[in-house]
Amino acid sequence: MKLFFKLVFRDIHIVIRGASDAGAAILFYLLAIIMFPLASGTDTNLLTTIAGGAIWMAALFASLLSLDRLFRSDFEDGSLEQIVLSGISLEIIVLSKCFAHWLTNGLPIVLLSPILSLIIGLDFQYWWILAVTLLLGTPSLTLIGATPAALSCAIGKGGVLTALVLLPLMLPVLILGSGAISAEISGLGGKGHIYALSAIFPISLLISPFLASRSIRLGWE
Amino acid sequence: MNNIFNFLANPSRFRIFAKNIYPFSLIIMLIFIFIGLWFGLFNSPPDYQQGETVRIMYVHVPAAWMAMIVYFSMTVMSIFSLVWRHPLADILAKCSAPIGAMFTLIALVTGSIWGKPTWGTWWVWDARLTSVFILFLIYMGHIVLVRAFEDEYKGARAGAILTLFGAFNLPIIKFSVDWWNTLHQPASVIKLNGPSIHNDMMVPLILMAFGFLFFYFSFLLINAQTELNHRKLKKLFIKQLNLN
Repeated sequence: MKLFFKLVFRDIHIVIRGASDAGAAILFYLLAIIMFPLASGTDTNLLTTIAGGAIWMAALFASLLSLDRLFRSDFEDGSLEQIVLSGISLEIIVLSKCFAHWLTNGLPIVLLSPILSLIIGLDFQYWWILAVTLLLGTPSLTLIGATPAALSCAIGKGGVLTALVLLPLMLPVLILGSGAISAEISGLGGKGHIYALSAIFPISLLISPFLASRSIRLGWE
Repeated sequence: MNNIFNFLANPSRFRIFAKNIYPFSLIIMLIFIFIGLWFGLFNSPPDYQQGETVRIMYVHVPAAWMAMIVYFSMTVMSIFSLVWRHPLADILAKCSAPIGAMFTLIALVTGSIWGKPTWGTWWVWDARLTSVFILFLIYMGHIVLVRAFEDEYKGARAGAILTLFGAFNLPIIKFSVDWWNTLHQPASVIKLNGPSIHNDMMVPLILMAFGFLFFYFSFLLINAQTELNHRKLKKLFIKQLNLN
């Protein structure tokens, strides 16, 4: 457990010192949200209906961008191999990397969401459901994305291929997350969506460390 | 059972096996599909509500079943490939994906052709349609991913991992019509208290389903042969290079 947090701190340190582009992903998140009113017109009614979906889309793309580099730098300079040789199981390392990624990428997205919902015109009374869905959804996005990110390391090239493999797997989270918001706005209540969304997290927590570490080992074979 | 798996694990043995089985599978497929089409097009009643458009169902439903059956068999092959490192499972999974993607596409296209006169719309984003569309995207991702690796062995492993990950979608597709209120009708053939479809319509449906199943077998066998020949050619090529 102590080692787990040590690994998490190491990754966060790397982000803070600016050796990683996690900050750029957050900036991208802000920019992508601003794109929506500029592209679809500034009609307030329209913006209110698409606000939830727009923020979710931006969150998805921001994590997509940063996920490609989840294992890559450590994989390429060999430090991942060295950490594994020290006797920590790869599954734990994957979990620690996901946790660090969520802290540096998912958590800022969640924290910024109430402010952004004001900019994009979501009624302020719905900020909490946006924050709750993002809080439940972003860890799942990170965990689901870990396996394709590891696979892209094994191939040696990432980019479009990662996105192609990753997006279909992430779609259920997007559907439930933005569905909860629109269901709440339409008066149906978004609880059902939120329950389903919170079920995805433990399932992906169980499955993805094994599949992701299997994929990393594939790159070493 | 174990002996069969071990026997076919040898690629060159499987190649001969596939070569011998392939014509039979093709003939059975043609018989089933022709009889099924004849029943479906000429010898079955039009629906009292949908009229003649119901005949699209004889292609749509078997294609949709096959889309799921192919993915399920790919999941089983992926487990074989990851757990027992069965060399043939890799090849079969790789060759199944394009066939499965094609079945999914057929189901989507025929469904939307049927939907226009019946529902009045080509496409709705309800749970069944969306989940099948996601299945199609996963198939495409698998096809691209497996071929992105230079090393075939690694590509197959990566494909197996992706297949296992994407298998979450299968129960969602099956039960989407029960869990959500969808425009797509609920299951009427495979359900607990027996099928609720008349025999006259059941006969062509089942015939077409078997026809499509043998279509899958036939094309899987010929795809696998092509793949094996391709690999053998590569080996011969390398051998020749070494000799020179």
